[in-house]
Amino acid sequence: MEFGPIWRALLRNKGGAILIALQIAVTMAIMVNSIAIMQERATNMQRPSGMDEANTLTFASISFAADADLRATYINDLEMLRNTPGVINAVGTNSFPLRGGGWSMGLQTEPGEDMGGVGAAIYFGDEHMIETFDVELIDGENFSPEQVVFLDPDNFRWEPYVIVTEALAKTLFPDEEGSVVGKTAYINQNDPVQIIGVIDQLQAPWQGWDDVEHALFSPVKRAEGFARYVVRTEPGMRDELLPQLEEMLASADKTRLIRGAQTFDEVREGAYLGDSAMIKILGFVITLLTIITGLGIVGLASFNVSRRTRQIGIRRALGATKPAIMRYFMLENFMISSVGVIVGGALAIGLNIFMVETFALTPMAWWVVPVAMIILWLVGQAAVAGPARRATRIAPSIATRSG
Amino acid sequence: MLKMTDVSKIYRTDTVETHALREFSLTVDEGEFVSVTGPSGSGKTTFLNIAGLLEEMTSGTYELDGRDISKLNDRERSRVRNEKIGFIFQSFNLIPELNIFDNVDVPLRYRGLNAAERKRRIEESLDMVGLASRLKHQPAQLSGGQQQRVAIARALAGEPRFLLADEPTGNLDTHMADSVLDLLSEINSNGVTIIMVTHELTLADRAKRNIFVRDGQVTDAAPEFLRAANG
Repeated sequence: MEFGPIWRALLRNKGGAILIALQIAVTMAIMVNSIAIMQERATNMQRPSGMDEANTLTFASISFAADADLRATYINDLEMLRNTPGVINAVGTNSFPLRGGGWSMGLQTEPGEDMGGVGAAIYFGDEHMIETFDVELIDGENFSPEQVVFLDPDNFRWEPYVIVTEALAKTLFPDEEGSVVGKTAYINQNDPVQIIGVIDQLQAPWQGWDDVEHALFSPVKRAEGFARYVVRTEPGMRDELLPQLEEMLASADKTRLIRGAQTFDEVREGAYLGDSAMIKILGFVITLLTIITGLGIVGLASFNVSRRTRQIGIRRALGATKPAIMRYFMLENFMISSVGVIVGGALAIGLNIFMVETFALTPMAWWVVPVAMIILWLVGQAAVAGPARRATRIAPSIATRSG
Repeated sequence: MLKMTDVSKIYRTDTVETHALREFSLTVDEGEFVSVTGPSGSGKTTFLNIAGLLEEMTSGTYELDGRDISKLNDRERSRVRNEKIGFIFQSFNLIPELNIFDNVDVPLRYRGLNAAERKRRIEESLDMVGLASRLKHQPAQLSGGQQQRVAIARALAGEPRFLLADEPTGNLDTHMADSVLDLLSEINSNGVTIIMVTHELTLADRAKRNIFVRDGQVTDAAPEFLRAANG
């Protein structure tokens, strides 16, 4: 291999090579950090919400009649929904995972101010929540119908029982090795709530929240002008039932509107629209930069082939085979690319450290830098292949032409 | 050593057909120092290109060292150029980006010799042409005569069976030209066959045998106009 002569020749004519190496380095730094961001977003998007997403739908009921009996409507709606063939269960709630809006409160193990509360999303609902959300009760028990009350907006108080996610339980009682069922926590600083059950996993409504796995059920039915229903169907029935259920509720009470009918797939898509767009944009930027870098390499290699036409002829005259000429340009590009990816690797790591410290980004995975290096090496080799192949077609008789 | 029989070379474009060599026949024995002389356009360089396997002939037969060259593929032709032929060009044809050591090293690398063997040959050949102390110099730092000596060292380093020299003194002054011709004579006295293409009869006279080319064919004697042109 002609590493030494090629390196020394590059040092004597380094302008173009340095520019290309710099271009590769910048592309590498941007590519690596873009991949890290894309990977973080993609990982977030793949987190389970905890619900039976494939078979869950939701819609809202908005009553506009001044004298409407909202509690009767609420009870009637849920009875109709639960009795519809194909529906496993339904619940009225204030929110659900990935919705983007909802309630959160601080929970603490001791009453009083400044006791270091743990944030938790609040889901109001009755004893049908567990089955409707398809979460597993791993400890304790479900709400009994007697524990569930209608919310009184004029005299709100926290009901004394809660069911919490396992993640919330572990954060609240980190030293507890046994069951947390029966333990008391304090909501709103001083209102005691007893943990009667623990469910395996359920996300908060805000997918970007640090405490996204902290959620609790509170045994409260909200029969207000705006009611949100979540319905879980038999497998494969969701899409068929969605318009039917919407029509059924709309027909049952003409003094309200049914709005926001969505499958949970649509909820998820909406929740991660920004992340999805970010992944596409960064993917486009990486592709564009890589293409521009590839074109730069093609340009430099083509220029070098033209500039070295006579030199190539001399090499051929002195015994270089066509593959040897090809190898020369490929190797030269490999060396330029190597400088670029090594500098780019250092730049990428530096930029990632800066982004982690400044924007609380997750540090990139170890494999991103070597993968980006391999990609850029391959792009370089692919880009130089065309000009290098042209170089092999230069005749050795060029060497005897005057000039 | 070298035997060309009825070799023709025709350059074709869409409208023009140029016969650069016509039934060109020549035999050169091992150890000879032959000059090939002729006016511009006579076919000297075409002969050199075909003899040096830099171009393919249109018809005829060419045997080099007893081997039929016309049957060889590109890779084999490259190997023959590398192992059996040393080239000395009018414009030296050193690679400007490489230092003297690396320039001499170029054909040796293509032969696949190991580093120690290459280094030995490079130092020996540069020592023979009196430039052993200039290993790290760039071509641009040397005079024309010195550059041609480096080119000769490059040709010799491969220990070729014969040297093809294309107007080797064409870009040199008289003093340097004499020096280079003295060197070629010395190399020939060591058993290397040399074919030197030149348009100057005075230089051709330094060879042991003179071949005259006109209109792509070997002629018996130097044409009068060529003698007149050379004074």
